[in-house]
Amino acid sequence: MKKTLSISAVALMLIGALIIAGCGGGKQQAPKTEAKKETVKVGVILPLTGSEAMFGTMEKNSMEMAYEELKAAGKTTVGGKEIELKFEDDQSKQDAAKAAAEKLINQDKVAMLSGGYSSANTNVIAGTAQSKGIPFLIVTGSADKITQQGWQWIFRGTAAPASKYTGALWDLIDKVIKPKSVAIIYENTDFGTSSAEGFRKVCKEKGINIVFDQAYEKGAIDFKPMLANMKKTNPDVVFAVSYVMDASLIAKQMKELDFNTKLFIGGAAGYTMPEFKENAGDASEYVASTTLWIPNVAWKGAADYFKKYKEKYGKEPDYHGAQAYATMYIIADALGRAKDFTPAGIQKALKETDLMTIMGPIKFEDWEGYTNQDKPTTYVVQWQKGKLEVVWPEEAASTKPVFPVPNWKERK
Amino acid sequence: MSLFGQTVICGILLGGMYALIAIGMTLIMGVMKIINLAHGALVMVGMYITYVCYKSWGLDPYIGMLIAMPALFLIGCLIQRYMINRLVEVDSILPENQVLLTVGIMLVLTELARLIFKSDYRSVTTGYSSSTFFVGDMSISIPMTVGFFIAMAFTYLLHLFLTRTDLGRSIRATAQDRNAAVYMGVNASRVTVITFGIGSALAAAGGSLLLPLFYLWPDIGHLFTAKAFIITILGGMGSTMGAIFGGLTLGIAESLGATYISMGYKDVVGLVIFLLVLLFLPGGFKSLTKR
Amino acid sequence: MTAKSWLTPTIIAVVALVLPFLLRDPYPQHILIMILIWATLGTAWNLLGGYAGQVSFGHAAFFGLGAYSAGLLFLHLKISTWWGMLLGPFVATAVAVPIGLICFRLRGPYFALATLALGEIFRLVFTNWVKFTHGAQGILILSTFPTKLPYYYIALAIWGLAMFTLNRLINSKLGYYFVSIREDQDAAESLGIPTTRYKMYALLPSAFLAGLTGAFYMNYIAFIDPHVVFSLGDISVMVILVVMMGGVANPWGAPVGAAIYIALNEIFRAWLGSANVLAFGILVCLVILFLPNGVMGELGQIRRTAFRQKPAAAGGGQK
Repeated sequence: MKKTLSISAVALMLIGALIIAGCGGGKQQAPKTEAKKETVKVGVILPLTGSEAMFGTMEKNSMEMAYEELKAAGKTTVGGKEIELKFEDDQSKQDAAKAAAEKLINQDKVAMLSGGYSSANTNVIAGTAQSKGIPFLIVTGSADKITQQGWQWIFRGTAAPASKYTGALWDLIDKVIKPKSVAIIYENTDFGTSSAEGFRKVCKEKGINIVFDQAYEKGAIDFKPMLANMKKTNPDVVFAVSYVMDASLIAKQMKELDFNTKLFIGGAAGYTMPEFKENAGDASEYVASTTLWIPNVAWKGAADYFKKYKEKYGKEPDYHGAQAYATMYIIADALGRAKDFTPAGIQKALKETDLMTIMGPIKFEDWEGYTNQDKPTTYVVQWQKGKLEVVWPEEAASTKPVFPVPNWKERK
Repeated sequence: MSLFGQTVICGILLGGMYALIAIGMTLIMGVMKIINLAHGALVMVGMYITYVCYKSWGLDPYIGMLIAMPALFLIGCLIQRYMINRLVEVDSILPENQVLLTVGIMLVLTELARLIFKSDYRSVTTGYSSSTFFVGDMSISIPMTVGFFIAMAFTYLLHLFLTRTDLGRSIRATAQDRNAAVYMGVNASRVTVITFGIGSALAAAGGSLLLPLFYLWPDIGHLFTAKAFIITILGGMGSTMGAIFGGLTLGIAESLGATYISMGYKDVVGLVIFLLVLLFLPGGFKSLTKR
Repeated sequence: MTAKSWLTPTIIAVVALVLPFLLRDPYPQHILIMILIWATLGTAWNLLGGYAGQVSFGHAAFFGLGAYSAGLLFLHLKISTWWGMLLGPFVATAVAVPIGLICFRLRGPYFALATLALGEIFRLVFTNWVKFTHGAQGILILSTFPTKLPYYYIALAIWGLAMFTLNRLINSKLGYYFVSIREDQDAAESLGIPTTRYKMYALLPSAFLAGLTGAFYMNYIAFIDPHVVFSLGDISVMVILVVMMGGVANPWGAPVGAAIYIALNEIFRAWLGSANVLAFGILVCLVILFLPNGVMGELGQIRRTAFRQKPAAAGGGQK
């Protein structure tokens, strides 16, 4: 009995494994027999299911939209081959990201990888790409250390390192705000912790007094205890890094507490999304934030992208979508210039990128310990009369910043 | 001092609403002795029903709740009758099969919601969502207060039901000793089905009360399941008064933890209290009152 | 008899050793390694839960401790994470001692909830103690080996160790003690069995193996963060599901469950896209309803249904 049991068990395991192999192998064969033209495959790993699916889908849609535009302009045929995008779902989970990367590299034999939304998954994909020597062009994952390891196969163009989102903000702080005290709150995710670390460091360098500094677990219902505690310290300025729903609750609850500061600044992510305004209502007014992109930014094609996306998908895209869109253009540009489609050839082409996209100029450089990192263009935006306006830097601004913001009771 | 007051009030109001969600679980755990890991998912389903009522017919969540409750009662009864009840008679090595079944149910409910509504965050913003009134320096949220009082009302109604009606007494009998109840002529299967239904309906109510304050997405269930457990243990399985006590305790402890320790560690406070109660007072609040 | 009882393990060993050469693609090899990881973790849990009847909902704590022991060696001391394979299991076992002493006072659902709470506490502490653990930013390393083969054999060795440990323990006197505690703890105590001590004898190897698996995970996936390795839903609850589907109290329960879980997960993901978790949930419900003792536990039932033998007429198939 035991013997048959054991053999059956092993048989089950084998069958399971063989089915997988069969599946994977089978899928690989299909396109080969169908494709008439030779293709250059680009593997894109995004969260299409799971908790991050909202952004993954936005990025996939944006890349596909860009692909269609490039195709119409004939830019998807490079060196006699057609660029082919192969999307894989990382299910917002790390081991799925690793499995997806492995599958794309080993089974689908992609020439390069792209994608990467959450920092955790981007980390895993980058590690895999670096050990296998395949170029990986990151779309969104912004943890600083991904490009701080000297990894030559990893490129980050449209995403800024988390601590560098605040470039334009510091300019505004130095020139206009000049706060004496600041409060920092942030979600204890990778992005939140990195951003807060960066901000904290610069505050200390500039001698600004940090009167409150706390992380919180995202998804909380009641922020009032923390906010009431912060209110007591009476900060001039609050810097918050939150995901969109926490951001709405924080803004609303600050209004409920009648907690006034001279300016509330978000660290991108939650505070610039249309959902923030929808959910926070008039509590969103005068909230400022750092950002890498908004629809009415000056770069050519940005407004068109926004309009087209909204028409096609019925939703407004945010900077994540713009990142994906611009990345597709970078891919097409680099593959167009590549002398050959070996990893080294693509790597060289990527390194030589100097392209204007809807997110601004993209160049991969080595600076401040980062490798192959584009120097980001950042902005400060502020919600004014329900619209998100660029208020800094002055060259790009659509209007002046409102500072100090009026107290809750003084607003209509 | 007003910071302390603010913290405590927030804790009490929120705790009261948690308690309503937990009452469903404590009832189920008391009667059927199973850990229902799908409880949070049931809350989630109730919230989606209320949300749909709001979006499609403009019904205020407090009214939509009255639709979600019977709907969840029905769903709960069906789940118990056709799925969980089947396992009661089965002889398996570990009795924890029932728990794992609830995990399966939780996955199915969550994923169905995701399929229908996607992972997007939904929220219901009513005119009074952000209204507050001030007592001195302390800001008190109106929807939280209304929710708190409705939760207390439901709890009291449940208490009356359990103590004054025949069906209620049958439920308590089954909770105390299932076999003895059967000897006394109680139809235990029917009782368990109804209990699961009531528990689910109350879960839907609790969730609907939170809808104007919070937001909704398919994974919200996990958050509520965790809180419901802590409260159930704090209060003692099967005790409605215990659930109120447990809810208030958890709410206040979390608030105080958020203010005086740190917001990041606030859940740890709840968990530590949970462990301490498990270890030193396993009967919960209920066992204290019996002495 | 002796020759025969060596035959099966030898067949399995040979097949397992040769398998990666039959499936040369790294993708199926990755699947095999994941199956081995889950089989080991499941076997570890099975020892405590299936055999000794103490259903732990917090095994992620031991897994995560193992993973972080390896990761922190690298983070703070710049030592290779492979040393974590030695340190991890001992850290997990050391922590298991107080956990056991605290939790074994509780029974049934109370024990389950206590372990659940502990697992979550570990997760929250590791997330918030940023200075020590790097919090949600996690620990990232470069993979040591460019191919999967070394990882496969190490995973196989670990799994072999787990199966061997399980086999030795359950076939010894300890095995009988475990089952007696599981079936009726009060009766066992009244017979003079020091139940807490024996429960510890089940917990410690269980924690050891879970920690070892965690340390291996760190080395293989090359990135960990508290959200993943201390996860309640993805690790603690999932390992219970895996073993229950495969069959508790059966040495092959965990490997079979692991194979089902990983293989089906991949198939569902490839074929069903976003409905894959739904399919998995439905599968869980069906297995528990119709195969309450898991696949291995109900193997007799399965074979009967498959070959349509009348139960009364069945010859040697029953045991």
